[in-house]
Amino acid sequence: MGIHGLSKVIGDNAKEAIKEDDIKNYFGRKVAIDASMSIYQFMIAVRQQDGQLLQNENGETTSHLMGMFYRTLRMVDNGIKPVYVFDGKPPTLKSGELAKRTQKRKEASASKEEATEIGDTEAIDKFNRRLVKVTPEHNAECKKLLKLLGIPYVEAPCEAEAQCAALAKAGKVYAAGSEDMDTLTFGSPVLLRHLTFSDAKKMPISEISLKKTLEGLNFTMEEFVDLCILLGCDYCDSIRNIGPTRAISLIKEHKNIETILENIDQKRYPIPEHWPYKDARELFLKPLVTDPATIEIKWESPDVEGLVEFLVRDKGFSEERVRKGCERLEKNLKTATQGRLDSFFTVAAGSDKKRKAEEPAGSKGKKPTPVKGKATGAGRGRPRK
Amino acid sequence: MLEARLQTGALLKKVLEAIKELITDANFDCSDNGIALQAMDNSHVALVALLLRHDGFEPYRCDRSLALGVNLVSLSKVLRCAGNDDIITLKADDTGDVLSLTFENTDNDRISEYELKLMDIDSEHLGIPETAYDAIVQMSSNEFARICRDLQVLSDSVQIDVTKEGVKFAAKGELGSGSVTLKQNSNVDKEEDSTTIELNQNVSLNFSLKYLINFTKATALSGRVSLSMSSEVPLLVEYKMESGYIRYYLAPKIGEDV
Repeated sequence: MGIHGLSKVIGDNAKEAIKEDDIKNYFGRKVAIDASMSIYQFMIAVRQQDGQLLQNENGETTSHLMGMFYRTLRMVDNGIKPVYVFDGKPPTLKSGELAKRTQKRKEASASKEEATEIGDTEAIDKFNRRLVKVTPEHNAECKKLLKLLGIPYVEAPCEAEAQCAALAKAGKVYAAGSEDMDTLTFGSPVLLRHLTFSDAKKMPISEISLKKTLEGLNFTMEEFVDLCILLGCDYCDSIRNIGPTRAISLIKEHKNIETILENIDQKRYPIPEHWPYKDARELFLKPLVTDPATIEIKWESPDVEGLVEFLVRDKGFSEERVRKGCERLEKNLKTATQGRLDSFFTVAAGSDKKRKAEEPAGSKGKKPTPVKGKATGAGRGRPRK
Repeated sequence: MLEARLQTGALLKKVLEAIKELITDANFDCSDNGIALQAMDNSHVALVALLLRHDGFEPYRCDRSLALGVNLVSLSKVLRCAGNDDIITLKADDTGDVLSLTFENTDNDRISEYELKLMDIDSEHLGIPETAYDAIVQMSSNEFARICRDLQVLSDSVQIDVTKEGVKFAAKGELGSGSVTLKQNSNVDKEEDSTTIELNQNVSLNFSLKYLINFTKATALSGRVSLSMSSEVPLLVEYKMESGYIRYYLAPKIGEDV
């Protein structure tokens, strides 16, 4: 899934691109969320105590709806305005990756039977989670739920991450919300991770800025995409024996994959036989998306009776909770959102750099430069020594 | 090299009280003009701009501009060790890693010295455009603090309406609604308590009370406060001191679909 090891690469090379913040500081932000990935996540994470999927009386799975309902409410409670984006047809390049996933699922299925044989409940549980598959019915039910909640959704022609990125690029939303790092590769200026996690996890939102990532790596967008392909993406294989460090230095030296291929020892680094890296690059740089300008995003009041009908009568949710949730939705829709100063005042560029440039000039041998280490404490600053 | 001696140490203590709730770390930018600070709160809703002009210190010396990154909670803890009447001297080297503070009592027979480690702080300096505000209200700072406190009972936001008759603070919440209106009254005996309004155009704006209450922590610094407003721009709340000021900017709450 996503780009192999990209978050670590960014963490190591462009630390300032990643910022952690409380979900409550994202009030008023519109965020495009990769629905397909979220649903998958809910089906894995939202479970009963014994590890079984949540079900209603008729034995139909409700984990995805439970997750969608409560995690959406959590975001809305924090003043975030979510818009969900569903996957369309997978790109043909992804067939290899998808085949791999089917294969893995088969393996898990076999292992599960084995585990059942010997009665290893922990292992059964583990393989059960690996067997999770989001069906078109699950997707359809989630769309129905969103419609009733008054939360907008968009159907992407192809990859949902690409559409999220396009929406963020066009300024329709502030950021793309996904766990998949390739959302950045698709060109989303800001990526938010951990947005749809449960409150109980107390996981802060991790905000990754594409601009700062590129600055930190000193790469252009094209070089960054080539780096992601070398790291390993969903659309083609990567070259064996090339890890993150080598990938970065190769791109730094040769700028693109073509030149790298001309210069590296192909015996040590066997190029995959059929390697459509050009197509993968094309896919990242010019993904198939619906033009954001034609998409209208609107948040509406929830259809309370419709929700009760669907969630309580059909799916066995608690009526009280559903009604309470609707009240919260309604209330948050009405209250005025807190504005931000950044939209009124502009960051005076350079003021900060100037000071840094002045410092070394006066320092006599002693260096006031910060010790680049782990940021300690809760504050924004780092100790000078 | 910075050296600044402040006759009334209590001033610095009060300044810290006025900003430490809003921001945790900030750079004190020292220049020959004085000591300034500008920082936003974490969620980028409010901004504090502080200026302690050089003439408030005796003596004041700063040869080269210096940025002293300080954890405000730590600084306020250290300042708690100073008596209200103490004379406070701030010192820092151009290349040093510490800010040193000296507290002398009035009898000059007790001298305490502290050193505070400095931090490197990534600050985003905001350029604040000169704004010609539509309405400027000058009023008693105590009155402003009280209004914010009172209305907080009802709601977490307040609507401020300014007309030529007066200024109205109104809040509406689940348990009911309430409002306080102050009429323009420049003729009262006590000038401290008067309310004056300069108005070009009526304004009506919505603000978070939580932040306003935070701002009123500066009440001890000045008997007067001024509120400057224009439609759809941040509110400016200013407390003027003898030689300097503390200014707070607050982004308004915006209605549906903007």
